[in-house]
Amino acid sequence: MIGVRKTVLIAVAAVVAAGAAVAVSAAAPKQAQTVTIGWAYDGSGAMAPFDGPALATAKSYVATLNKRSKRFKLRIVTCDTQGNKPAVAKACAARLLGQGAQVIFTTCDVDFAAPVVQESINAGRLTIAPCIGTDQMGPKRFGPKGRLAFSFGNVAQDEGSAMAEYAWSRGWRSASLATDTVIVYFRNVVQAFEARWRQLGGTIVTKETYQSLGGNQASWQNVVTRLNARKADVIVTSTAAAFGAQVPIINGLRTLGNNTPILNSWAGDGNYWYPANPKVTNYYYVTYASAFGDDPNRLVNQMVQRNKDAIAKAGSTGGFITGPAAIDGLLVALRRTNGNTSGAALAAQMERFRNVPTLSGKVSFSRALHTVFGRQYRVMQVQQNQPKFLRLIKAKVVPKI
Amino acid sequence: MRASLRLVELAGPVGLVLLAALVGTTVSRSNEIYFINALLAVSIVVALYTFIGNSGVLSFGHISFVAVGAWTAGVLSVPQDEKPALMPYLFGFLRDTTVGNVESLALAALVGGVFALLVGLPLMRLSGLAAGIATFAVLEITNNVLRYWEKIGPGLTTFSSVPETTDLLQATVAALVVIGAAFAYQRSRYGRQLRAAREDPAAARAVGISIYRQRLGAFVLSGALAGLAGGLYVHFLPINADVVYLDLTFITLAMLVIGGITSLWGAVVGALAVSALDSVLANAENGIDLFGTTVDLRPGTRIVVVSALMALVLILRPGGLTGGRELSLPRLGRSRGVEG
Repeated sequence: MIGVRKTVLIAVAAVVAAGAAVAVSAAAPKQAQTVTIGWAYDGSGAMAPFDGPALATAKSYVATLNKRSKRFKLRIVTCDTQGNKPAVAKACAARLLGQGAQVIFTTCDVDFAAPVVQESINAGRLTIAPCIGTDQMGPKRFGPKGRLAFSFGNVAQDEGSAMAEYAWSRGWRSASLATDTVIVYFRNVVQAFEARWRQLGGTIVTKETYQSLGGNQASWQNVVTRLNARKADVIVTSTAAAFGAQVPIINGLRTLGNNTPILNSWAGDGNYWYPANPKVTNYYYVTYASAFGDDPNRLVNQMVQRNKDAIAKAGSTGGFITGPAAIDGLLVALRRTNGNTSGAALAAQMERFRNVPTLSGKVSFSRALHTVFGRQYRVMQVQQNQPKFLRLIKAKVVPKI
Repeated sequence: MRASLRLVELAGPVGLVLLAALVGTTVSRSNEIYFINALLAVSIVVALYTFIGNSGVLSFGHISFVAVGAWTAGVLSVPQDEKPALMPYLFGFLRDTTVGNVESLALAALVGGVFALLVGLPLMRLSGLAAGIATFAVLEITNNVLRYWEKIGPGLTTFSSVPETTDLLQATVAALVVIGAAFAYQRSRYGRQLRAAREDPAAARAVGISIYRQRLGAFVLSGALAGLAGGLYVHFLPINADVVYLDLTFITLAMLVIGGITSLWGAVVGALAVSALDSVLANAENGIDLFGTTVDLRPGTRIVVVSALMALVLILRPGGLTGGRELSLPRLGRSRGVEG
């Protein structure tokens, strides 16, 4: 009898103890998982106006998210690639991986990013570019390991097509093209513009090429002379002021009294390059977001307000939105993998993205395509050095180039 | 006695390279990358030395040979199914051919040498400033051809997907091979004849030395060594035409001048010293711990400090860090440069 009672008591005690343990473990706050992002950015070279705002806003966005997130705490460690020198960039990637980075973020051009991307994907890490603008950030350029590489930037084909549709909507029917040959993205935007422009029935007056970064300044003036010699409704290019040729070409045309509208891609964003004289006028570009507080998205304007100084210091390009947008995407992937940070697991989830909401709009990827199509672009206009948001535009057709 | 002197002359550069490699094995992966880069710089600078040091003719065009070597190895090493995205306009035979690492390096050296021969045939008749300007023209032409002729490479696009086979071991072995070739050449009859022509062209001609032929031979050898270095470079880093152009030309020439232009020892010392300084400062711009203190330099400090120190070295030691002398044991008392 005593034996039975003893057994029952032990059993009851065991059940109570187990129940208490479960209750305690359920009541105890679950430790948030820290995920380290290694961010290799260009702090002083041609990509600085694009990398700088993305990183600055990402840092403040992460600080805000960390305060309210119970599940993931993000930590950003950085390394300056010093003008994207290949050896320094590669060493940066290795340094970040050595500091425990589980995901690597890289600069906004696929050619400049290659040393970081290769070091990172070779280590099996998910590698994200906030704003690379070609479809080459993925398996197309980096082979099977490129499955780990993604960009939250626009695809040049999509962007060039949106530019063509905007130009057409303005009633412009003839275009002069000036292609900056220095990077794939610049070339592809103008190619896409031309393809879509011809589909729409537009005419091409002249096609000029130049090389901005490392190019010959005299050749830029030749381009100005040739563009000025043929009347067109719009002059189309894709280049960045930080690469050197944009200001001399625009200044050259305006100095000659040529006030033809100039249409540029996202590369021509920002106010860091506006010359005092002649002031930038009749200048248009498409971008991710307006950095000047007049974006149609209220959340974007709030972000601009919160990061006013950092965005202004980095040149006020719409690139500021790409950092937080990429963080949004990463968090979705992390949630879907239940916190598994292996590159393969995260990449597999990102390839399943279909209209995933981010601060810069909805994002979709696929096995073959690791860069964003179908973005709603902001069309910006600059008059007398004053930029303002005009309208949204989304490419209806993306031509093959 | 003479044999031991020779051994010391070779042992110095070899020992220094081995020491750098040894230290490179003990550091983090991030710093190892800088060590590999420094060893590649040794290969390029020694290739430069083989011609410039022995002939006394300045060449601004040697990075052309590095570039064609890189293009050869890169184009032939990218996996076939990844070539269309990177190099859509390649000639059919380049598109359909993929070779292994060793073959690609051998071909890089071969193409570098052949290109140097073709360029050298007309140019090696020139001396002094004319030779310098003519070789600079070669650099310009080569860069523009590689940059825009997309039937032979990626054009302006950066090489990617080239198998990253250049590790610390391969970079070390290559540097030793290049040093060995340069040493064998400078000790050879041809090397002596070229140096004799460097010291006194009239006297050299008087004893029957063909300065043109000797310069051409050194130019071809150094072109082949530079081509090999280019092959190693593209197997190490994703590079484009701009990487193998002006910056690399001037920094490698500066390494040679700072080390001491007329000695193999100077070439190796210059390459490693400037690379070390450059790497430490590049690291310091991202923050490093130095003797318990975190040093975090402002962006751009690297370029300012390296340039200032290079100028300072040349003011204080116009003959370079080694004075243009080979390494010698003090008691054995060697004369300036390699004996002529």
